[in-house]
This record gives sequence, structure tokens and C-alpha cells, in this order.
Amino acid sequence: MNDRLSFYRKKNSPIHTLNPFTKLTLTLALIVIGIVGGGYWTASLAVCLAIAPLTIFSKLFGDYLRVAFRLILPTAGFMFVMQSIFIPGGVTELFRIGPFSIEVETVQRSYLIASRIFLMVSAFAFLLLTTHPSELMTDLTRRGLPPQFSYVLISTLQIIPQMQAKAQTIISAQRSRGLDTESSFMKRIGLLVPLVGPLVFGSLVEVEERAIAIEARGFTSTRVKTFLHDIPDTHMDKIIRWALLALIIVALASKIWLS
Amino acid sequence: MQTGFTNQDFINFLIVMAVLGVVFGWAYATKRMQKDFTTTTWVLIPVAVAINIAIGQLVLVLKLPVYLDSIGTVLVGVICGPWAGALTGALSNTVAGIIFDPGWWPWIPVAAAIGLTAGLCANASFFKTWWKVVVTGFLIALVATIVGSPIAVLLGGISASGSSLITAFLLQTGRGILESVLTTNFIVEPIDKISTSLLAFAILDGLSTRFLARFPHGENALLDQQRKTSELVIAVVIVVILVIVTNVFVVPLLNQ
Repeated sequence: MNDRLSFYRKKNSPIHTLNPFTKLTLTLALIVIGIVGGGYWTASLAVCLAIAPLTIFSKLFGDYLRVAFRLILPTAGFMFVMQSIFIPGGVTELFRIGPFSIEVETVQRSYLIASRIFLMVSAFAFLLLTTHPSELMTDLTRRGLPPQFSYVLISTLQIIPQMQAKAQTIISAQRSRGLDTESSFMKRIGLLVPLVGPLVFGSLVEVEERAIAIEARGFTSTRVKTFLHDIPDTHMDKIIRWALLALIIVALASKIWLS
Repeated sequence: MQTGFTNQDFINFLIVMAVLGVVFGWAYATKRMQKDFTTTTWVLIPVAVAINIAIGQLVLVLKLPVYLDSIGTVLVGVICGPWAGALTGALSNTVAGIIFDPGWWPWIPVAAAIGLTAGLCANASFFKTWWKVVVTGFLIALVATIVGSPIAVLLGGISASGSSLITAFLLQTGRGILESVLTTNFIVEPIDKISTSLLAFAILDGLSTRFLARFPHGENALLDQQRKTSELVIAVVIVVILVIVTNVFVVPLLNQ
């Protein structure tokens, strides 16, 4: 499997040896608590006090920072700036840029939304950094997810690199026929047909062969399937999961009764 | 505490999600959903997801004013049925979230609704001539707007995509968040979804009848033999006109 396609980094840490389902529960718990759990700073605190220590603990702090600065911060930052400037409705004016006035209330509200999005994306980035997608899918299949779902997800992750390779072959082939790929904008739009056409039709034609191949290996068989890799699920995992579930319920309950 | 959205916005979101949930639950309970999923469907879905992502990225690189990231979803919706289409859409966004940026995940319901609508329209034989495909594209855009706007409002109305500039412009003229998001989507979505449907139509037209017969609803994509070429030409011409129209009319609007 091509590791370039996923965020996953293999490290030897207690977090990596946890069951994938436990890590999924942890991610969801962080998001639920950060978003429904009252206070203004909850989401920001969850990033600083939960996700950052967890990534340090799993020896991935550097990787997390890279993801955060490259992916999450630009998106959240852009949204924060745009919303602060453009959404009207505040009362106390902070300062003006040209025709736009920036109010304290809007900035506060934008910060709240941006910090929640930052938390949500960070939590999933933590999950993806510490868990291999196929490991997670195998574990979910063992817990009752139909095996077809994990087939679809994992084979998609494998098909995309194959398709990239195929696209490169097609571009080279068309260039050798004299196709000009470095010209004006309108010409490049015209290029889409000889490039995308073979790619799409070629991939679709393969579907038939693949269907016959996996059917011959009992894809739709209803008998109980066995697993090649065993994924450990310890007592510790179960305790952590129940504790997280309790935390989620407490957070939801406090939201409903206290507000 | 001041939150980014009002309770009414949250209720809108819950209503849309509840309607989607009821539709899927009903289809599952009445075994309508299970009919879509044969082995060929399961194998086509990953390929369709890969097509979505590959073409979506290509369009992004070329900086065209559309997304075109659901051609594969519409394709599966038409030849395998609405429920398979919905699954393809949902998985496309899931996989894009794994590969590029988890910011794709909030839009999973929208992608699922796109595949569902495409499949339902095709089952009503609305994917056989170019003008019917245009109608289908418009309906898909309508549904995508209805499902997507409450999500956009919950995320604060302005995201990192280019069309947010329109939303920002409308907000500044004094309109509410929901109204601004809806207006933006009504400008952007029909152009994108009609182009998507027409391109899916062109791809289906290029596939052989024998190949299409492998899929649960392959007959949805068959059209009359004599009219084939002219239909295809008209479909492609409409895509080109739509792209040019956006370049000429919508882009200057953004620069104002």
C-alpha cells in the first residue's frame, strides 16, 4: 500500500498500540466535548491540553505541527479573517479598513468558529497520523461493518496512485504524438479531452475484469470470514472507551441542562 | 455565550439531516437499497471515487470556475441506482478527507444527496436526452443547495472556497447569513452541476451497451441510436457555453 497517500506515520508509542476503535472514540469525544461543552475557550483548550500532549506522547508532535501549519491554519485563519471583516452585526467598533468596519463581537464569534474548526480538523489529523486506514477498516469490519465498505475504501486508496501513474503514461504518450501541453489557457482546456478521455474509459473498462476476479474469490459469500492480521483489543482499550463515552454523555447533558 | 449560529439555523440543519435519514432508513427497510449493490457496483464505486478526485484535482489546477468533483458520483447514480450513487458521493468526500484535508468531511451529506438525486432522476428516465440531462443537473444543484446551505451556515457562512467571495459581498450589503449562502449557491451550483451531468452523459455515451448491461440500472443510460452524435455535440457545446458565461459574467461580479 502506498503510504504517500495517507498521513500515517509509523512510530513505536503507546498510542500506536491502542486499538484503532479506541482512537476513533477518542477523536469523536474530543470533537463533541470541544463543540458542545459550554465555555468560550473550550475548543482552544482542547487543542492545547489534549491534542498537543497526545501528539507529543505518540512522538508525532513535529508531524502534527507540519499538518497544522500547512493545512489547518491557512483554512481556519482565512475563515477567521474573512468572517471578521465581512459578517456585519457587531456593536462595538474596533477599527476600520476602507468601507469595512470590524466589530469586537464579530471577531469574537469568528474566533469561536475558527477554533472549533481547528479542533475538529486537528482531532481527525491526530487519528489519521496514528492509525493506518486499512487497520481501522479491518477492526471496524470485525465489529460488524459490512466487508464491502472496507473493500471500497481501501481499494480507492490503492486505485488513486495507479490512476496517477496511468495519467502520467497518457500524458507522455500524447506528448510523443506532438501534443503541446504548455500553451495558452483556452488551448489547455482543449487538451482535457485527449488526456481525460483515455484515463476515464480505461479505468471503467477494467471494472468488469476486476468484478470477475473478486467474485471468483467469494466476495459476496455470506459465510463468516477470517482475518489475516489480528488487531489487539485489550482491557485497557475497553476501559478507555467507556470512560470517553461517559465524558461525551456528561458534556451533552451539561449542554442540555445548564444552558 | 455568543455562538456562530442561531437556534433556527441549527433546527434547519437538523430538519435536513432528519429528512435524509428517513429516506435512507426507508430504502434500507424496504430492501430498495440492497438491489443496487451487486458485485459490479461494488467494484465500480472505487473507480468512480478515483475519477471524482482525479478530475476534481485537474479542474482545480486549471483554475476553471467550476468544481466538477462529482462526475463519478452522477455516473454511479445513473447506472447503479440512487443508493449506490449516494454511497459513492459519501465515500468520495471521506477519501478526499483522508488524502487532502479533513475539511471535506462536513460536506458528506451534500455529496450523498447529489448521487441520490442523480439516481432518482435517471430512474425516472431523465438521463436520456441532453435537455433532460440539463433538467437533472438543475435538480441536483437545487438539492445540493438545500442540503449544503444549513451546513455552510453552521460553519459560519464563509469557507476557504472561491465562491465565498460572493457570500462575503452579499453579507456586506446587509443580507442575513442564510440568505447570502443560499444566493451564492444558487449562482454557482447550477452551472457546476449541469456541466457535471452533461459530462457524465458524454462518458456514458462512450461506453458500449454490453458494458452498461452489467450494471443494475444500465438501461437508464441508453439512448436512441440515430440521435446519439448530435445529442453529444449539443451537450458539449452547452458545457463550453456555461464555462464561458461564468468567466464573462460571474468573475467580473467578484472583482467589483
